[in-house]
Amino acid sequence: MPYWYYDKKDLQNTPSFRDGISTETENRYRKEGARFIIDTGSKMDLGYNTVATGVVYFHRFYMFHSFRTFPRYITACCCLFLAGKVEETPKKCKDIIKVAKSLLTEQKFATFGEDPKEEVMTLERILLQTIKFDLQVEHPYGYLLKYAKCLKGDKTKLQKMVQMAWTFVNDSLCTTLCLQWEPEVIAVALMFLAGKLSKFEVVDWNGRLPKHSAWWDMFVEDITMELLEDICHQVLDLYSPQTQPSGGDSPPLSAPPKTPKNDKKPHSATPPASVSPVAPVATKPAVTPIKNGEPPPKLEPPKAALGPAPGAEPPRYGYPPYTSIPPPYVYGAPPPALPPRLPLLYTEPPPAVAAGPRPRYPPPPPAPPAVVSVPPPYFPPLPAPPPRPYYPPP
Amino acid sequence: MSGSNDSCQNTSAVSSLSDVSSLFQTPKKYEELNVIGTGAYGTVYKARDLHNGGQVVAMKKVKVPITEDGIPLSTLREIALLRQLEAYRHPNIVRLLDVCHGGPSVDRDQQLVLFLVFEHVEQDLESFLKRAPGPLSENRIQSMSHDILSGIDFLHSHRIVHRDLKPHNLLVTSSGRVKLADFGLAKTYDTEMKLTSVVVTLWYRPPEVLLGAAYNTAVDVWSAGLVLAQLRTRTALLPGASDSDQLHCIFRLFGRPSREEWPATAAVMRDSFPDYPPRSLADQLPHAPPLALDLLKGMLMFDPAKRLTALDCLEHPYFTDEPLA
Repeated sequence: MPYWYYDKKDLQNTPSFRDGISTETENRYRKEGARFIIDTGSKMDLGYNTVATGVVYFHRFYMFHSFRTFPRYITACCCLFLAGKVEETPKKCKDIIKVAKSLLTEQKFATFGEDPKEEVMTLERILLQTIKFDLQVEHPYGYLLKYAKCLKGDKTKLQKMVQMAWTFVNDSLCTTLCLQWEPEVIAVALMFLAGKLSKFEVVDWNGRLPKHSAWWDMFVEDITMELLEDICHQVLDLYSPQTQPSGGDSPPLSAPPKTPKNDKKPHSATPPASVSPVAPVATKPAVTPIKNGEPPPKLEPPKAALGPAPGAEPPRYGYPPYTSIPPPYVYGAPPPALPPRLPLLYTEPPPAVAAGPRPRYPPPPPAPPAVVSVPPPYFPPLPAPPPRPYYPPP
Repeated sequence: MSGSNDSCQNTSAVSSLSDVSSLFQTPKKYEELNVIGTGAYGTVYKARDLHNGGQVVAMKKVKVPITEDGIPLSTLREIALLRQLEAYRHPNIVRLLDVCHGGPSVDRDQQLVLFLVFEHVEQDLESFLKRAPGPLSENRIQSMSHDILSGIDFLHSHRIVHRDLKPHNLLVTSSGRVKLADFGLAKTYDTEMKLTSVVVTLWYRPPEVLLGAAYNTAVDVWSAGLVLAQLRTRTALLPGASDSDQLHCIFRLFGRPSREEWPATAAVMRDSFPDYPPRSLADQLPHAPPLALDLLKGMLMFDPAKRLTALDCLEHPYFTDEPLA
């Protein structure tokens, strides 16, 4: 049976990378493709499961093929088309293409060829073979709801937290997390992140056993703080400003192989923990392994984007059955006013550590006074949304 | 896969789609050795997995019509489910090792050739029973019965109805375990069935199907009941020659059902059958222990609603009472 999880080394050495596409660019293509599936799917009223399944197909596909060989937007269409059938929410191929055309620039749509439908049909068979007919995909959403049911505490806060975690899961589709971790693990990590950001501290849960030091111990064994932080970072990185222009430039189809831009120099294994919004500046430096080929841990800009981040996108599709949906968020660039190194998450003392083998939560960072006074810029009503980098002009 | 190297006729802006298809269709992965069987639904080959040290596999070839919207939803759903089941690695279900197809291009008749690659098991129950030198021991019968019912219970718990259980698609491993094969593609087959004229055996078909009435998971329990009986007799208990003859066989043994039991949706009139008096199952299976007979009676109830479920069967005293000496 196929195994769909990769370590960071594999995620760096992809067919696209070997084809001369830098990891940074590949990650952007992945993000754009995923975002395009999300946008097309929501425009066609497809459910979150179908959309997520399509995105997972997309990420898996490019573990075997280069973006140079298969342009991303037509692959994305095909993934959504196939996911629609597998999830029993089928859409006609021509309808998907129609919506795709409305979302893409003429130049991008040109990659669909003269007979887009026939292209998608052929691609469907290539896709099926590539993903080895492993069509049933699980997503973090279900786990999120399952976990939430067990947590005790203020109902409203819990709902808010789940809503936020849900949005994180949506956005996590734009990362390669689904190629790294099982949906259970991603659900735990993003709920953890949402809990931190919404200040919902889980102190008790149904089914708690003495050996549990955190709620997730009940569901997934051996989740370390390092792992949680790594996952959270990968999602939060989505909200940090783009490091490179993201236009519609496709890789030239017949480009001469060039040396990959990003050298393989070993990244420093331990990024400065201080830039981490999740990891505390603490005695134990957070080991946040560098993501495959993402730019090495950025000192600049700081992860100040954390504030507006979770609301970066209006949640466009798929809500958990919780009614209190926050008002549509506005995309927010990081408020420039924020001081760098804002350890937002630890402005409050971490929860008392249960008598576990090792502290689950690192000790509180020596909070700089400035921090305390900064109101968490969580849903700031920002005036003019900057152009969305991965939204093609209409 | 063999036959995958047909050139792709697409001349399009996805410029290298066709070049790539030959690239990604890794050079021949399976080498066909010989035909194992030709069923109503396609051919099964014995083949060698060239990527896996030449491991011998069973490759089932199924043709799928390509519709206006590509590969049919029902086929995709069924394959997805088979793949998903595989994650459980149930001991009484044949392993599905791989699924592939004949290449990105389709032939002129708009059909895609699908290959389902299964573990190869040397013999099926039919040949096993034929080759058995004498009656099977009660221990062997019991363990094989349990294997079959465990497999069925597993399928049913995943909402799969086998629909065609028979000794021919029950595989017997070298260590004597039984594994279910050939299930889960009912809808995929349906599209193709019309194209073939291979005779399908009726001997294990339950009355509700023969009568054209509604049916559910209980059909598999009926078929399994007849297979379990056959473990003792080594020949089919009800070898009907046609649909109606099969019903006659059933009624001759169990008696014609009462008017109340006759399904309302039946396509056949009850009056078209003589009033056969019921006979004793024990006469057919003289050496069967009483508990085994009781289990079989529960599995071979005419009314599907009164029939035992696979789980009921596994919890039947025949299996749970003290093991045989």
